[in-house]
Amino acid sequence: MNAGSSLIATLVTLTLIKSTPIIYAALGGVISERSGVINIGLEGMMIGGAFTAVVFSGVTGNPVIGLLAGIGAGAVLGLVLGLAATIFKVDQIVAGTGINLVAAGAAAYALTLIYNQPGASPQVNALGNGFWVLVALAFVCAMLLHVVLYETPWGLRVRACGENPRAVHDAALNPLRLRVAAVAISGALAGLGGAFLSIGEVNIFSDGMTAGRGFIALAAVIFGRWTPWGATGASMFFGFFEALQYVLQGRVGWLPADAMQAVPYIAALIAIAGLVGKVRAPAADGVPY
Amino acid sequence: MRNATRLLGGPLGAIVLAFFLAAIAMLIAGVSPVDGFWALFVGALGGRQQIAETLVQTTALLFPALGITLAFRAGLFNIGAEGQLVIGGLAAGALGAHFVAPGPLAVVVLLAAGFIGGGIWGGIAGWLRARFNANEIISTLMLNFVALSLASYLVSGPLKSAQAAGAETAPLPPQSWLPVLIPDTRLSIALLIAIATAIVLRWVLSRTVFGYDLRAAGEAPEAARRGGVNMPRMTWLALSLSGAIAGLGGAALVTGVLHRFNTQLSPGYGYTAIAVALVGDLNPLWVCVAAFGFGILEAGGLAMQALADVPKDAIHVIEGLIIIVLAARRYIATRAEGAPI
Repeated sequence: MNAGSSLIATLVTLTLIKSTPIIYAALGGVISERSGVINIGLEGMMIGGAFTAVVFSGVTGNPVIGLLAGIGAGAVLGLVLGLAATIFKVDQIVAGTGINLVAAGAAAYALTLIYNQPGASPQVNALGNGFWVLVALAFVCAMLLHVVLYETPWGLRVRACGENPRAVHDAALNPLRLRVAAVAISGALAGLGGAFLSIGEVNIFSDGMTAGRGFIALAAVIFGRWTPWGATGASMFFGFFEALQYVLQGRVGWLPADAMQAVPYIAALIAIAGLVGKVRAPAADGVPY
Repeated sequence: MRNATRLLGGPLGAIVLAFFLAAIAMLIAGVSPVDGFWALFVGALGGRQQIAETLVQTTALLFPALGITLAFRAGLFNIGAEGQLVIGGLAAGALGAHFVAPGPLAVVVLLAAGFIGGGIWGGIAGWLRARFNANEIISTLMLNFVALSLASYLVSGPLKSAQAAGAETAPLPPQSWLPVLIPDTRLSIALLIAIATAIVLRWVLSRTVFGYDLRAAGEAPEAARRGGVNMPRMTWLALSLSGAIAGLGGAALVTGVLHRFNTQLSPGYGYTAIAVALVGDLNPLWVCVAAFGFGILEAGGLAMQALADVPKDAIHVIEGLIIIVLAARRYIATRAEGAPI
């Protein structure tokens, strides 16, 4: 194998690995926004998932239990945002920002309390090669979400909540309950993405390890036009840029790595400005009911 | 006028809740809340140095909180104060490293650079909203990360000081520093500028036609439109001014505290400032009081960690919970209409 093809192989592999956590969180963003709730808290839910996965893997010695706990932690945070944004009439954007602060603060606080070492946890049992299952599962989740949203009655109702919750109410269904469920699932997916980072890619939790991936996922939702496959494609596009930085580092003399990190956000800005074809958000996205 | 009952039911209730939660955080850490709070208050107010440091944090939070207040009152969700503050600091730092001017002119020019820099950053979101109807929540949030990437790229490349070991601009010459307010501390007259900004903002909001139009645009957009308010122009202006105030805060940090620019300028002041603005009930003068309260938390948090062994991150949990509790819809009641993504 010559140097060029091995470089491409590395790039493809890394793109898959770097895309996976973003895909999970972005799918979470899609289901939440299609139900009418903008999930600004995806980043915090990823942090919650990443940290909880490490704690449970450490305590039980079983990374699969850690993974499930990470998903559960994300779901709980999603439930908090979902309930706040519906029943308690709290503004979803500000509440999501609050979730991010709480999750980051609580993880750092608990890190000091549990392990008595700020910054990073000790090493725990990780998923090892099993993390490739999670890479594949990301695409299965995208397919499932597509089928659920477009082929099932429940998916139709969720999408209706995002377009016209009043009509859902008039059909004798409870739009608030549907939104809470959608945001909780959103949190579970983000938690899974976070757990992939901590006990999939590596075997520790460290402060700031999510590094804004929750926000990149939010950008991917918009760039992917609020569809599961669109968001998955956008996540892979952003994952590719992350992988490219790793591959190019050390191979080229000087790399504006910091400037490249802005790519997802600028792409999202261009997308919401409607400069790349028509973009339409769910009509009631971000609108309280 | 917002009445006292509302203040009691909202912000004050949230503060009581915050102290209750802080006590729980201390108990979990195995520390008596009495000891914990004592450490917090001694650390924040126990002496001249401590009080000065609390006021430094107050100042850093007050500028972005006032910017957020202006935008929220206009019905616009500016969650990009962090990026606007960074761009303001970057503008002041980049210019200040090489700029020499007689007397107080240098500082004035650098603060103006921060004001304009932050204003442009906020104005981008305003323009995207006014021109393309692009949701300002997403655009201001995304612009935060673009700002950080841009700043990080510039200070590690083109603007990097040859002398400095880390990624930062060259230090400002001492004549470009803001005068110190309390000798031998980090507290500069930036505090007075922030308070003056609050007073001006209050006057503009309550006593000028522009302020009336701005509040009308926030509270009853349809009525404002029919009443002749140019809504796209108001959107653009409000987000620009909001960003400019946050940018002024970044420039105040550069000229008053750091005397150079680097990406550690803000540990998230722009996000905490959302809580400050909400606790201050979006009223500029109460926002000053709220900023002092959060200044105590920020400055006292470190002492609490050192003296009472409560991890300082507990402070951020408390701040986040205050945001969630206070984000009740009534505060930003009229965003729903005409705000598609």
